[in-house]
Amino acid sequence: MRLGFLVGVFGVVILAHAAISTIRYRGLLKIMEEEFYGPPANVMVELLLGLVLCMWAALTVPGKFLSIHPHSEENRIVSLPANLDFMIFNHRGKVFPVATDLKLKH
Amino acid sequence: MVTKTEETQLERLENQVDNGGGGAWEYLCLVGRLKLRRSEKVLKHGLSILNDPKKRSALGSEEWTLYEQVAIAALDCQSLDVSKDCIKVLRKGFPESKRVGRLEAMLLEAKGSWAEAEKAYSSLLEDNPLDQVVHKRKVAMAKAQGDISGAIEGLNKYLEIFMADHDAWRELAEIYVSLQMYKQAAFCYEELILSQPTVPLYHLAYADVLYTLGGLENLQAAKKYYASTIDLTGGKTTRALFGICLCTSAIGQLAKGRNKEEKESPELQSLAAAALEKDYKQRAPGKLSLVTTALKSLKSNCCTEEMLIWAHHSSDDDNSHATHLTMIHGPIQAQTIFQ
Repeated sequence: MRLGFLVGVFGVVILAHAAISTIRYRGLLKIMEEEFYGPPANVMVELLLGLVLCMWAALTVPGKFLSIHPHSEENRIVSLPANLDFMIFNHRGKVFPVATDLKLKH
Repeated sequence: MVTKTEETQLERLENQVDNGGGGAWEYLCLVGRLKLRRSEKVLKHGLSILNDPKKRSALGSEEWTLYEQVAIAALDCQSLDVSKDCIKVLRKGFPESKRVGRLEAMLLEAKGSWAEAEKAYSSLLEDNPLDQVVHKRKVAMAKAQGDISGAIEGLNKYLEIFMADHDAWRELAEIYVSLQMYKQAAFCYEELILSQPTVPLYHLAYADVLYTLGGLENLQAAKKYYASTIDLTGGKTTRALFGICLCTSAIGQLAKGRNKEEKESPELQSLAAAALEKDYKQRAPGKLSLVTTALKSLKSNCCTEEMLIWAHHSSDDDNSHATHLTMIHGPIQAQTIFQ
């Protein structure tokens, strides 16, 4: 978690650095009066690296993925809740009272 | 809704609590959250927390919920004294509360003094005519008194106002099934499937009702709903797998005399049968031969009359081999008798 966060920060820093490099490069091009066709290769590599690091951090830091499959263990419904609102008390359990020594002591 | 993970967690906690391993409060919370009816255990463990001043004060404001939970559990176990004491404590804490008033009325209900309980509920309804729980209690009271038609009438009136209450739809469906009014039950299950299309148990129950109704169209629809149950549970519902086999054989019998173009491919049945055999091999290898013979006899359309019986039984968990086996026993015996 902590590592993932640090990696994420590092990724963002790299991205920012790539952006600054590109701006500087364009400035340089303007001085040299050349056309801008795209950032240089090392900036491209930096950009990709930053992208990968940020993506990895974004996928690991917030937590685990939850399953969306209806038949996965977390989602598969095996029984419905007892309909407690419609619970009735004169059932056959009435004939077999539970231990009578239970008492609320206050 | 209780999912598989929650069920395992509950079993683990239940074992732990029963063997004195602690975790009673977590267990009670889980039971409350999943809305399960474990009255005896809730009563026992809840009281042990409530009677221990240290543990009780550690709960903070949750203490009152526990009192309520224990009071209802005590009513269900017919320990009316305990319930009365709990309600008294709650009444002292909340002198004006409607929720406690409801508990008091439930106590009257458990005592069997119906007229007084009715009066109490009516006065509660006068204060708040849209109190859903009180309306439901009135229906439950009718049911408890054996007045099933009254309960149905009450539920229908209730559902006209609160159409989105799926618990009530489910209750109505179950009452209709118990009265063998399958067409009405099917309607209720349709409503349930509409409101919660991802719950496989409703699909299963609907398919059961359709299968019981019989007739070619209903059987075909039942088969589809069994298939959708399998789809939603990843093939882990034994009942639905059996349902597919039964439906196919019943459809085969009905369609025998008619034109053969409509006959469906038997692929689904053989797949379901294979899944069943695999499942039994894994979990109950001793019963495998029994299942295999039963499935074979189904395939050759020997006897469906006996099998119809099992559609009436309702057990919707996916590991009750015993129930399924008694169902399966039917055709085998019948087969030997006919021979």
